[in-house]
Amino acid sequence: MLQNRKLLIIFRLIVGGVFIWAGISKIADPLSFAQNVRNYQLVGPALSFLTAIFLPWVELIAGVWLILGIYPKSSALLISCLLLFFIVLVLITMARGLDVDCGCFGTFSRRADWRLIAEDSLWLALSLALLFSPANDFSLFRKKLSKT
Amino acid sequence: MPRVLMGLKKILADKQTWVGLGLIFGLSLVGGLVSHPGLVRRFLAGEFRQAFILKEDFPQVVFISLPEAEAAWSERQAVFIDSRSLEAYHRGHIPGAISVPLEDVKSGREDLLAVIPEAVEIIIYCEGGDCQASLNLARWLESRGFKNLRVFSGGWAEWTQAGLPVEANAAK
Repeated sequence: MLQNRKLLIIFRLIVGGVFIWAGISKIADPLSFAQNVRNYQLVGPALSFLTAIFLPWVELIAGVWLILGIYPKSSALLISCLLLFFIVLVLITMARGLDVDCGCFGTFSRRADWRLIAEDSLWLALSLALLFSPANDFSLFRKKLSKT
Repeated sequence: MPRVLMGLKKILADKQTWVGLGLIFGLSLVGGLVSHPGLVRRFLAGEFRQAFILKEDFPQVVFISLPEAEAAWSERQAVFIDSRSLEAYHRGHIPGAISVPLEDVKSGREDLLAVIPEAVEIIIYCEGGDCQASLNLARWLESRGFKNLRVFSGGWAEWTQAGLPVEANAAK
């Protein structure tokens, strides 16, 4: 397990930052993201729309909380699960021969391919390190509480 | 590995983990509803079941059914665009259709658009079922100034199932 607290904080800034960016870019244009979800051809239009309304906020809040240390285990667990899901989703999509935009970062999205899987795997490794390291205990929230 | 599993077990057994997850999901639901109330209202009213476009943003894109597509084809009123891959097009397509694969256009082959005549009705189709290429190509074309765009969402599958004429291995 990683014990270097500074390194863990850097991990949090990176993974949290990626999720905040992913969330905001989709919140800005939910219909485009709904179309991205639909392009994967796994869920129908209604579920695609609801995913597009709901999921970006999950990403945004989990990202912010991961950085700030608010329920850090919950946010790290959720982000790890999401990344694992995204990796499986891209693998399935590639196996089905579909050529789609990943929908990861709104208009800045690119193709769902091996590069994307490699990128998501890196974020997943960082996120798992955060989830399982007892040294990942920095919390803005808790520090404030202990000062008062 | 066993240490990781033990750690995961501990995290999952911790009530705080679930409280945190519940709060994230709850706040996300509120965030989603509050940030786009107009879209949610339109969704509840039945919109966004065919496509995720605002009609006011894409006024030229209209969805048509098989009888409409068939009528336009038999009366030679429209140009048909096959948005599937070139291989799929060669295997079989609606007679007279022009091949403009969405993937090629997205990869920068905008020269393919030059073969599409303007000022006529343009009917775009893809595989049918869940395929999204026809709609995505229609959006692309509208953003490039094309007009009178029709998306035949039943696509190739519906056309062939209806026993309508097909053409194969023809050059575009």
